[in-house]
Amino acid sequence: MRKEDTVKLISAEGFEFVIDKKAAMVSQTIRNMLTSPGSFAETQHGEVTFPEISTVILEKICQYFYWSLQYASGKETEFHIEPELTLELMMAANYLHT
Amino acid sequence: MSAQKKRNFQIEAFKHRVVVDPKYAEKTWKILDHAIHEIYNHNASGLSFEELYRNAYNMVLHKFGEKLYSGLVSTMTSHLKEIAESIEAAQGDLFLEELNRKWADHNKALQMIRDILMYMDRTFIPSTRKTPVHELGLNLWRDNIIHSSNIRSRLHDTLLELVQRERTGEVIDRGLMRNVIKMLMDLGSSVYQEDFEKPFLEVSADFYRGESQQFIESCDCGDFLKKAERRLNEEIERVTHYLDAKSEAKITNVVETEMIKCHMQTLVHMDNSGLVNMIVDDKYEDLGRMYSLFRRVHNGLSIIRDVMTSHIRDTGKQLVTDPERLKDPVDFVQRLLDEKDKHDKIISLAFSNDKTFQNALNSSFEYFINLNPRSPEYISLFVDDKLRKGLKGVSEEDVEMVLDKVMMLFRYLQEKDVFEKYYKQHLAKRLLPGKTVSDDVERSLIVKLKTECGYQFTSKLEGMFTDMKTSQDTMKGFYASLGPDVTDHPQLTVQVLTTGSWPSQSSATCNLPSEILGICEKFRTYYLGTHTGRRLSWQTNMGYADIKATFGKGQRHELNVSTYQMCILMLFNSADRLSYREIEQATEIPVLDLKRSLQSLACAKGRNVLGKEPMTKEVGEDDSFFFNDKFSCKLYKVKIGTVVAQKESEPEKLETRQRVEEDRKPQIEAAIVRIMKSRRVLDHNNIVTEVTKQLQSRFLPNPVLIKKRIESLIEREFLERDKVDRKLYRYLA
Repeated sequence: MRKEDTVKLISAEGFEFVIDKKAAMVSQTIRNMLTSPGSFAETQHGEVTFPEISTVILEKICQYFYWSLQYASGKETEFHIEPELTLELMMAANYLHT
Repeated sequence: MSAQKKRNFQIEAFKHRVVVDPKYAEKTWKILDHAIHEIYNHNASGLSFEELYRNAYNMVLHKFGEKLYSGLVSTMTSHLKEIAESIEAAQGDLFLEELNRKWADHNKALQMIRDILMYMDRTFIPSTRKTPVHELGLNLWRDNIIHSSNIRSRLHDTLLELVQRERTGEVIDRGLMRNVIKMLMDLGSSVYQEDFEKPFLEVSADFYRGESQQFIESCDCGDFLKKAERRLNEEIERVTHYLDAKSEAKITNVVETEMIKCHMQTLVHMDNSGLVNMIVDDKYEDLGRMYSLFRRVHNGLSIIRDVMTSHIRDTGKQLVTDPERLKDPVDFVQRLLDEKDKHDKIISLAFSNDKTFQNALNSSFEYFINLNPRSPEYISLFVDDKLRKGLKGVSEEDVEMVLDKVMMLFRYLQEKDVFEKYYKQHLAKRLLPGKTVSDDVERSLIVKLKTECGYQFTSKLEGMFTDMKTSQDTMKGFYASLGPDVTDHPQLTVQVLTTGSWPSQSSATCNLPSEILGICEKFRTYYLGTHTGRRLSWQTNMGYADIKATFGKGQRHELNVSTYQMCILMLFNSADRLSYREIEQATEIPVLDLKRSLQSLACAKGRNVLGKEPMTKEVGEDDSFFFNDKFSCKLYKVKIGTVVAQKESEPEKLETRQRVEEDRKPQIEAAIVRIMKSRRVLDHNNIVTEVTKQLQSRFLPNPVLIKKRIESLIEREFLERDKVDRKLYRYLA
């Protein structure tokens, strides 16, 4: 996979998730971040730091991105969410406009 | 989050951080404010989108949305004021470029700002009904830049000046134009219309008013139209290059009004180059241009059509009333056809086969063809000429084409029954001497007439063909009954013509020479023997004969002559010299025919089997004739044509006219009776209209004539007047 096609998402604790740009762009916020006409730091380096999202949540989010792509392409499976994550996950979703 | 459907839920603060710092909002805004400055200064590369977004997000969450929004407005406004200054400072041509560049910058910055403030756009703005960031950016640009007093008028002058320069042939930067115009459109259609389109249209109208005035004074019609067309295309092209597509209709309307509508009458009637001249000179291109330009304007086409109609009517009228033309009927009709062809071609090549033009053409032809009462006769003569000789060696399709054209003229005739009369006469003159070129063509024309006017119209014509056929059979039967001893007699071919089907020419029978009387009698006996109850009379004026003659030096010739001429020549078997009076007495040929026959026997050069004294062109009653012994000819067979009056002479014409009038009476009466039978009661005016309608395929009955027929029918007790209302007629069964 070429570097331009991926993006690095970094959690509050500093964990790095390298995922497809295509998947990351499920989030409208990340999409704007990467496509905004001016070259923001994120666009230049291909990495985004989320100081307010914990690793567990970010991981779940990355899983959701891929699940969402599959779902959109017609593969209808359940996306399992542990109850204790629900609240934080929903807040992150609002932030990421997902 | 689990599904994309559930989106619009509100959520409390992401981090349960109690804001203790009262300067939190101020600090956060500072960061964002700084970022906006950096963005405008093209310095965004060091900024973190996530950080800015998070800050804006938090500000909105912490109920500082209002502060964020008003901060954005004031920061952006102050930037735009700076930009306005730098644009104002740009000199001359750089002005537009600077404006365009700044606009591009602003757009880009606006996009970035909108992206980082997206959370506000999404939640705060809809709930407080404020203007979304992008629109806000455009509005601020409009108010601070475009509508700033120093820029507004300068922009509008610059744009109009560029258009003007392009109109005068200069090359301008169309890309720049397009961008700036596009900017105005992006700012909203009202900005485009107020700040550009309206003044643009006004200036254009002035420009074209002046230009067309100048052209109309210096150019001829064709050139003017060419220029107008070019201008129109230029404007359309301009619209596609850098104006709003919606402006096309408006600007073309300006050009149409100023260059065409205001000058239509002048153009059409321009001396030496107007519409009439174009038609006369077959200028298809110019005519086509005029058509396509004028059709854009209300009433434009009707002006062309009216002028064309009156022109065709005038020339047509001249043509049909020019006594010079009337001398040669064939040429006359050919000219009509040429005229029709010419205009058909113009309509198809230049006026895109416009139906209304075709109708105008047809009605014009109908108008002027019927101005000349002899048109029916001439058209029939034209057909006669074609069928006698004109179609030899011409392919079948061409023949059909000529016939179709003739039918077209025929359709214009109002007095179709007059045509029928003449056609019958001419057909008889073709059929009897076997002078028709092709039976097929004759029949095909009759079929055409039949489809045009119905069975009734052609039944008599078809009867003539039937007679010809039966006569052939009769002759076979006759000679079979005579047996083998026929060689002694002169050969006789009789055509039995049904009275009524053929043109009745009640001419007296002349005295036939004794040589053929015998066989004539034999035929009479034979025919009446097979068909009892019939009456035979000889139509000597219609026959012809082949006779053999021996001239001086033993030269033998076969002479093809008419029956009258045969009678005259046979007299010279027993005498060498006869006076006019002697011939008249012996043959009893009617005066007019006798003179004609003698003229063609004695006066035609190369055909003068008789000599005449004195040697004049005309036959006088005191002349005397002698057998021309010196006659010689290269050919064995000599055809002596009668001097046929091609056209009818005046008395003949009157006679035919009378007969036509006579024939019309029963037709009108029949129509009246038919109508009354179905309507029982009808007033006078309605009868006249109905009768006219019924008969117009044959002729246009005169109302006075109809009235006379009604009176005659009342006299004969077919109709009666209503006792109360004298205008009403009642049908009496």
